[in-house]
Amino acid sequence: MSKYKQVQIYKKEILNDSYFILWIKDEELSVCSEPGQFFELRSKGIGANRLFKPISVYDCDKSFIGFMIKKLGPGTSALSDLKQKDYLELIGPLGCGFPLRENQKICLVSGGVGYPPLWFLRKRLSSNNIIYWLHGGASASDIFPCDEIWTDDGSIGGHGFVTEGLQDHVTATKPDLIYACGPEGMLKQVYHISKANGIPLYVSMEAYMACGIGVCHGCVIPCGSPENVIYRPVCKEGPVFFAEDICWDLL
Amino acid sequence: MNPLQTRLVKLILSNPVTVASGTFGLEYSEFFDLNQLGAYVTKTVTRFPKQGNPPPRLYETACGLINSIGLQNPGVEIFCRDHLPELRKSLAIPIIVSFSGSTITEFEEILLLLEKEDGISGYEVNISCPNVENEGIAFGVDARVVFDLTNRLSKLTNRELIIKLSPNVSDIASIALAAQEAGADSLALINTLFGMAIDYRTGKSFIKKGIGGYSGMAIKPVALALTYKTAQAVKIPILAMGGIYSWQDALEFLYAGASAVAIGTAGFTDPLLIPKIISGLDNYLTENKITISELIGKVSF
Repeated sequence: MSKYKQVQIYKKEILNDSYFILWIKDEELSVCSEPGQFFELRSKGIGANRLFKPISVYDCDKSFIGFMIKKLGPGTSALSDLKQKDYLELIGPLGCGFPLRENQKICLVSGGVGYPPLWFLRKRLSSNNIIYWLHGGASASDIFPCDEIWTDDGSIGGHGFVTEGLQDHVTATKPDLIYACGPEGMLKQVYHISKANGIPLYVSMEAYMACGIGVCHGCVIPCGSPENVIYRPVCKEGPVFFAEDICWDLL
Repeated sequence: MNPLQTRLVKLILSNPVTVASGTFGLEYSEFFDLNQLGAYVTKTVTRFPKQGNPPPRLYETACGLINSIGLQNPGVEIFCRDHLPELRKSLAIPIIVSFSGSTITEFEEILLLLEKEDGISGYEVNISCPNVENEGIAFGVDARVVFDLTNRLSKLTNRELIIKLSPNVSDIASIALAAQEAGADSLALINTLFGMAIDYRTGKSFIKKGIGGYSGMAIKPVALALTYKTAQAVKIPILAMGGIYSWQDALEFLYAGASAVAIGTAGFTDPLLIPKIISGLDNYLTENKITISELIGKVSF
């Protein structure tokens, strides 16, 4: 059951020029939010005609929910202007999250603002799993705590794409399962690596959204086969998909 | 006397607020009681399933939304089997089914299939979708074609027959008159305007198919002008839409000549907007001791 609410910002953390975290305190929403799910968020200041922006849950801790956000356009910039005690409009939790597995060798792969949902996922994955997290970004400002870092400009960690690290990690350790979230190009590459090695992959997809609840059919991605494409809404049937269900050639 | 009551021709609505086809679904029952609506309008159905257009399908501008959905829908047969029973069960308000075809015969076939179903109060014939080729808008830009199509459909049903017009024509009045003369009960307008957005950094279109349908706040003055122009040309009722974000916006359309209105894109910006608009209208009319019917078409200059 998704809800529309106006909630006060409990705390705002500025991570760097681009990234920040908005924390709200709402036990009702916190207890029902799962890793991979998202909320539609909007700053009360942005104007009645602007759409909500889909933001995945970064963390849930008792009655607190954190949204780690990257400033990208007018919607996220307005969110970045919010201060403690300002009101955030939200709808959620929305969508289907990551399936949680036990006793597995798990690899997490994220790129840029694909990081937040995996933080929450890692927290909720049982400690009987062995987890290794690779994260990549354009430069140091896109990098957050993980096990292995890659940057496009080499400013921190390995110089190159995170998928280079994934290839080596897969060859060396043969994980049972991969979870990934990041830019489309990265996810495509992660898919090819997972497929070549026969490793199941769950991806969290990003899409431009309007309604966020499965009404408008705006946020679809191609699933099925190129001969029989079915466009599935990311907001309702995703954002997490089993990678084999996606028609990657059409992305 | 309910000051909000209004009517099309065969349909009496408890209030003038309905929803724009394709922007609404039973999903909104999580946010408010859908039976507050004057009527429910379905997403457009076609004769056969349609997969819709490739993504990206959406782009938000400073004051509007471009979409390129392409009438993705399961087709009329699956609609009747799987979706209509759910609508009938959930709704006590008039259900208006929107449909579109690629030939006049196909429009007739869809209508006849829908005629067999209970619980439908009217049809909105979509001859104005800008996002599909060979159907939708191809029928809505030529007055003779609109006349032929409406003439054939009006003979097949006693339910409210609403023809949905496109703003992307040189003379909406002649199209509206053709629909009226051929037996349309009422008109719905406007469908989306043509719209496009390009990323200046890369030169790439934000919408995969290039041109989409433009809706939202930006199109309100266009919609208002076309509502007025059409209302001046025809005698039949108008269900108007295009950029309605508030009860004040809705009132403007009534003054311009609409008998009822629809909320579309604005609903995405506030899932509780529709009940707010209905109660806003109710308060205004009650305070001013007037009824909807006293306002319709009463714009002054």
